[in-house]
Amino acid sequence: MAGFISSEDGRWVGGTPPGNVRLGAGTLVSGELAFKRFHSQHPEALSIGAQCTMDGVQFALGNHGRMTIGDFCYFTNAVLLCELRVEIGRFVVIGWNATIADSDFHPLAPAERIADAIACSPLGAGRPRPPIEARPVVIEDDVWIGPNATILKGVRIGAGAWVEPGAMVLRDIPANARVLGNPALVVGTTQ
Amino acid sequence: MTRRLEWDWYSGTLPENVIVDETAYIETSFSFLLYRSEVHGGVTYGHGASTYLGTMFDVGPTGRVSLGDYALVHGARIICDARVEIGDFALISWNVVIMDNYRLPLSGDDRRRQLMKVAERSPRVLSGFRPEPVIIGPNTWIGFGACILPGVHIGEGSVVGAKSVVRESVPPYKVAVGNPARILRSING
Repeated sequence: MAGFISSEDGRWVGGTPPGNVRLGAGTLVSGELAFKRFHSQHPEALSIGAQCTMDGVQFALGNHGRMTIGDFCYFTNAVLLCELRVEIGRFVVIGWNATIADSDFHPLAPAERIADAIACSPLGAGRPRPPIEARPVVIEDDVWIGPNATILKGVRIGAGAWVEPGAMVLRDIPANARVLGNPALVVGTTQ
Repeated sequence: MTRRLEWDWYSGTLPENVIVDETAYIETSFSFLLYRSEVHGGVTYGHGASTYLGTMFDVGPTGRVSLGDYALVHGARIICDARVEIGDFALISWNVVIMDNYRLPLSGDDRRRQLMKVAERSPRVLSGFRPEPVIIGPNTWIGFGACILPGVHIGEGSVVGAKSVVRESVPPYKVAVGNPARILRSING
């Protein structure tokens, strides 16, 4: 591993990030909206490694969401939705308008969805929401995710994989696989 | 000479090497926030061509984008390091990605080397690798959220459905849909 390129403290150009966000040395977060939808109360809600570039990324973490991002990652205008756990390795690239979500945010059953709609409404103050499924997303080291791609809950993307632009990833992807399509299928390898 | 758009909500100006026909319309100079082309005509607007809010010219130092006559771009992300040509009367919808370059190599080890370099740069832009020009032919229509990948040629008169991902060229007067996109049918010329 090379030495750190920048020893400057990590920073967000939009101001001071929330207290439970840790930015590694040389990490640069830009975009006014980065923490607009950041609601996590977890004491270590978001940890971003060193030398990362997070340009226009939206860190939308729910109350209990926890996200870790490794060193040397490069994300452009990605939308990261985390209710439970999103774990991203080192040297990961995520393209413009790509979405990662570890939850569906609402229940599947129609009756429960009515209860959820009421709980989420302006009249729902204090009403508990029904349980909502969330499953961790794991993106291993050296993964490339193209613009407009979508990664859904419970998915693990193996090290070195390549997700083509616009791919809809619903299932695990083996290491070094190249995938595309909706649903995303393996079409080759990166080696 | 700086060129400011009098109706612009953004405080920027048009880059000097952008060629704009006097009948063209640019909603905002914000579209050039990521523009870094150093070549004459890094973006060229034809007669009656227009770009609207959400359109972003992510054009590298040697990139050249041309918009034909009456071409209408309503919010595409154009990633160009070599050549993106948008033909006359082309209609390009919102959240469309048109890219002539992946900007990073396929091999994880090679990507790693590039990512270590990028943190040294200011601004931290990715560059290099191997661009493959993209041609969006005249009279085409690209639906919202579609991705047009490097090296693709969309033939004259063809339509690409919303959210389609096009990695192989589409012949003239076809409808291509799906992810990955395939030819659905022909349309009359």
